[in-house]
Amino acid sequence: MTDHDSAVHVPRPLLLGAAGAALCLLALVAGASSPAEARPPRTGVEVTTSASQVTVTDLPCQPGELSVAMTNVSETDRYADLLLSAPEPVELSREVFSSWLPAAEPDQPVTAEVGITVPRGTPSGEHSLELQVDRSRLELPVLVRPAPEKGPGDNLLLGERATASSTHGNFSTCAAVDGDADSAGWERTGWNDGTRGAFPDTFEVALSEPAPVDRVVLTTLDRAANPAERFGISDWDVQLRVDEQWRTVAEVRDSTEGEVTSRFERTTAEAVRVVVHGSNNGDYSRIVELAAYGG
Amino acid sequence: MTPPGLDPQRGLVAAQATRRRFLTATGAAAALALTGELAGVRPAEALAPGSLGSAELFTLGVASGDPLPDAVVIWTRLAPEPTSPTGGMPARPVPVQWEVAEDERFRRVVRRGSARAVPESAHTVHVDVQGLRPRRHYWYRFRVGSQLSPVGRTRTAPAPGEAVAELSLAVASCQAIWEGWFTAYADMARRDHDAVLFLGDYIYEFGIDRGVRPDSAAVENTRQTVTLDEYRHRYAQYKLDPDLQAAHAAAPWIVTLDDHEVVDNWADEAHPSAPAAQFLVRRANGFRAYWEHMPLRLAQAPQGPDMQLYRRLRFGSLAEVNVLDTRQYRSDQAMGDGSKPPNPESQDPRRTLTGDRQEQWLLDGMAGSGTTWNVIGQQNALARLDTVAGPDVAVPMDTWDGYEGSRRRVLGGIAERGVDNVVSLGGDLHRSVASDLRLDFSDPSSPVMASEFVGTSIASGLDGQDLDPGGAVLLAENPHIRYCNFQRGYTSCTITPRTWKADYRVVDRVTVPDGEVSTRTTLVVEAGRPGIQES
Repeated sequence: MTDHDSAVHVPRPLLLGAAGAALCLLALVAGASSPAEARPPRTGVEVTTSASQVTVTDLPCQPGELSVAMTNVSETDRYADLLLSAPEPVELSREVFSSWLPAAEPDQPVTAEVGITVPRGTPSGEHSLELQVDRSRLELPVLVRPAPEKGPGDNLLLGERATASSTHGNFSTCAAVDGDADSAGWERTGWNDGTRGAFPDTFEVALSEPAPVDRVVLTTLDRAANPAERFGISDWDVQLRVDEQWRTVAEVRDSTEGEVTSRFERTTAEAVRVVVHGSNNGDYSRIVELAAYGG
Repeated sequence: MTPPGLDPQRGLVAAQATRRRFLTATGAAAALALTGELAGVRPAEALAPGSLGSAELFTLGVASGDPLPDAVVIWTRLAPEPTSPTGGMPARPVPVQWEVAEDERFRRVVRRGSARAVPESAHTVHVDVQGLRPRRHYWYRFRVGSQLSPVGRTRTAPAPGEAVAELSLAVASCQAIWEGWFTAYADMARRDHDAVLFLGDYIYEFGIDRGVRPDSAAVENTRQTVTLDEYRHRYAQYKLDPDLQAAHAAAPWIVTLDDHEVVDNWADEAHPSAPAAQFLVRRANGFRAYWEHMPLRLAQAPQGPDMQLYRRLRFGSLAEVNVLDTRQYRSDQAMGDGSKPPNPESQDPRRTLTGDRQEQWLLDGMAGSGTTWNVIGQQNALARLDTVAGPDVAVPMDTWDGYEGSRRRVLGGIAERGVDNVVSLGGDLHRSVASDLRLDFSDPSSPVMASEFVGTSIASGLDGQDLDPGGAVLLAENPHIRYCNFQRGYTSCTITPRTWKADYRVVDRVTVPDGEVSTRTTLVVEAGRPGIQES
């Protein structure tokens, strides 16, 4: 009787198996086998990660991403707790990943995503991330690299701090400032609000420092299976925050387009906000990408 | 008292506790049995209580549940930082003392013991306290070092054949914490109930970031729960609510789950979010966190994605409560779920809501109960719910309407076996709906087989209103529905050998912390005369 799912139900793989890319086997964690044994029996949890190191910048909405998989390679089902830790300045989206792990044949990896960030202004350098299951540990390097400079003509919102009035549980708020405006992978690269049939919804991005803005490009869901004229947003205001005050600089009404550029007088802004008043089928607000330019 | 083939005390050594013996076999045996099921348990030294520091451990309160004439489960969890992934506990076992007394001040302690709170169970403690006397109040508490938990009050069930003059039962469901304050629970705790029946949606798994409470937008609330640590976190967040804690501390709870303890509208091994093998991992994680945080016996502890949740609890010769599980064994929703006209799939007799075994168990149990009242505690509505105005009919595919074969077999089975005084209690709808359950809902002259009280939500759905347009349609389109209300609250039932009286307690507003609770209406079922009556 309750309906909280998005109308376009193409959920993200939640507990995906091998994440497509070759998983890198980092450790075979066996239940404390004695070193004298030539080959430990398959009696533990195998931990694999999607990469052997993680590179991050100090952009708030562009975390380094790591898929961590636990695979039960023993004979019996079990629960396992994987503990993650990282010394400062590295911050992790989760410190624990616990799950039931079936002793399935063939092996069934159970995966969780870990977001890795560092505070704005963190200098380049090498840090580390530690994973632990039972009594086995492994360490992964975390490389901090400078965020690319945003020059004239660059998208000012890329990777900046995004917040929304609500976000559906299958979606991430940051996904609409990830630089990927392709609707094909919208479930991973777009934002869907969390309140069906309730408007307005807001999506807001704070700039790292005040910068001139003269156009905003909004991409709403638009693909063969989900055309914008049905699944896109139709009515919204584009607002800029100037001296802590929001002002509306453009209004879009009755749109059925997938991508809409709003142009306005060049204004130095602290943040950009879209206030969505309606969508073509009246259920959710869906933004695949929001970009702003000033040069 | 239990499903066929199941021993309610499986894995538990019956308590040999003698009065005043401090460390009994009960607690230790129970805790060992719990950890023994988990592979990879380290032979870690138990932590000395003193090394936990002075942080408050019993932040999530206490609870009791599944009362028998001689036993009741008592529960707590150690969580000095309840919303941290580990609860703020070290990865070590911690000994927890417990005691049960006949009085609030613990002058007459009748059972004591020690259990181990282990990290593999999120430092939750379940003790099946045995050797108690029927139909009486007990008070219980836990201790770690010098820290005492809040005191909980519980009540054992009457002896099996005991003639019970009156039983009070509160019925609740659907507590979306971001949509309202749990004022209904404060009221439930103030009123005296022998037991509380909770019919599902104790948590919600999906992410939100807007709500009526000040902390609704916390970042962890925006994510859906999938992994075990995430489900544990969600339970901690809900169980921090002081009104919910008060309701748990006031009476034993008899719980079952619905969909949101795992994910919206799941059905057996099916959910559109993932292939079955992956979904079952999520289901196992949801089940595990559920059992950890509920006052349930070991017989209900999940084995991975399987949990024996349907069971019976008897209250003397007055009533037997059949607690159903309509999620684990159901056929996938017909026609892709949603609201649909009755269709060949929803009417296909091969499809089932309960699974064949549970259906047989329910009908056999009611036929042989020997109690005045036969109660079906289920998740939604047995009654037909035509939700569209006019001659067209559209019914929800997620309720019994989507499984007409199951409904026909249950209502028909009641008729065939001559089971008297069947009362169905339900939830999920976020509205109160009281109905006459007819053998054939399309024929108003068809006999009434049973009476149904669907209770509204504790908080899900915000303030609501007395009669919303949806409720008006239900009343107009479904002559068997006798009452509808769309406010938040719970149902407070007073059961005697002659009548079943249901007070629909409603909260005027749940979007503010200080809403007022009142009885919106009182409905009655007379023994021997199925159907809802005004009081």
